[in-house]
Amino acid sequence: MTLNQRTEALSKIVLNNLQHQHDWTNLKTHSQLNLPRTIIYGLPPKRLYVHPDEQVEIIKAEKEMGGDRIAQEAELEWVLPLHLSEKWSPAQFAAVFDALESRPPGSPDITREEEEKSPWLAWKGSRRGKRVLLATVQDDSTVTYYWIHEGLVKPRQN
Amino acid sequence: MAATMTFQSPVRISLIAGRFLVFDIEGVMILRKHHGLCGVLTGTMPQNPTQNLFLGLPQELRAEEARLLVDRGAAYIADESSDHLAKLKEMSGPDSKRREEYLRELKERRRTAKKLFDEEKEMVKKQFEGKRAKPKKEKGKKEGGPSLLKASAESVVKSAALKETLPAITPSTSNAMLGASGTSGAVPDEDLPGSSAFYRYLNERGYFMTPGLRFGGDYSYYPGDCLRYHAHYLSNCYGWNDKIPMLDIVTSGRLGTAVKKSFMFGAEREEEGKKEGDVRMFCVEWAGM
Repeated sequence: MTLNQRTEALSKIVLNNLQHQHDWTNLKTHSQLNLPRTIIYGLPPKRLYVHPDEQVEIIKAEKEMGGDRIAQEAELEWVLPLHLSEKWSPAQFAAVFDALESRPPGSPDITREEEEKSPWLAWKGSRRGKRVLLATVQDDSTVTYYWIHEGLVKPRQN
Repeated sequence: MAATMTFQSPVRISLIAGRFLVFDIEGVMILRKHHGLCGVLTGTMPQNPTQNLFLGLPQELRAEEARLLVDRGAAYIADESSDHLAKLKEMSGPDSKRREEYLRELKERRRTAKKLFDEEKEMVKKQFEGKRAKPKKEKGKKEGGPSLLKASAESVVKSAALKETLPAITPSTSNAMLGASGTSGAVPDEDLPGSSAFYRYLNERGYFMTPGLRFGGDYSYYPGDCLRYHAHYLSNCYGWNDKIPMLDIVTSGRLGTAVKKSFMFGAEREEEGKKEGDVRMFCVEWAGM
């Protein structure tokens, strides 16, 4: 198998896993000249990542509104398929982050007025940091998912 | 005590057997308060060296920490073994200026000691007089003698002062020999670990660092003083082109999440083998799916 075929097979496994095990929709592949490999993006069934500071803002806003819950819509996310036997250097991870926008193509636009009106929305728009879902594939077809953020991002309080 | 008044920055870092140690509690406090540096306390009790739960001074610093402080001008490094010999050499020889200074300092100390002794004597005397004041008064009226006694005592004190017999003292420190602070030691670039730029980047942003083994990484980073906060990151530093096994990222990410931290790894950017002081870092967390 050539390298290309190998990464293609990897993408297929992850695509399958996301679609059938995790119920993702709108799954697409994305390739770019300066990207080390083809990357996937798609829409998870529920929102996958909330920054701790955003969570604080959401809770504040919910309190002001009188305790109603603010519905959290899912966001499009990047997925980087990798095999467990691979070894990547910080330089390669940096190349991926440098090549990508923080929001995958087709993410809904959020205007500045909307962000000012409800500050937590900015975390889906202008304040969203670059993050990629690391999909690590094992030979037995297990796929594990880990967030990898660019820069210093404080941990969530799970 | 007196140290609070006499403490002079920069902080003295003693380089002993390749380790960077701070022996001065004031120095330790300054480093912690103003430079975001908590180091590692390594001193144990001489009488019970096996106890290792409550360690005290000296505080040990990493090479990159010592270097950062020196670059900031907050500390200087004293290479103890070479300093010791150099200072001893300065002291030898009869015309040595340092020797003269030291002798003068010793004499000064003996004078102070004498002054203190005298003051104490005077105080005891006063107490003594106060207690006996009442019976003495009556006696004095009858005999009229104490004025004579007093005069003779005074003359004795005066003659003693003329000779100036100073008490012998045993100095408990040899600070006077040290003189002005020297900068005998340095942390050369080749002694710095690869994670130096990485550490500097985080220190400038207010993060405290402690050794990371207890959380399963090379370092743990705290968003502020490590007594006030839990660590946010367990962290490893790699070379820009080091190949990291994916299993390491997955296991560290998993471990980090289990202890409510995020696994942060990073490297100093390198362009054609040249380091640029620019640092990139990435944070890994379990995605929850």
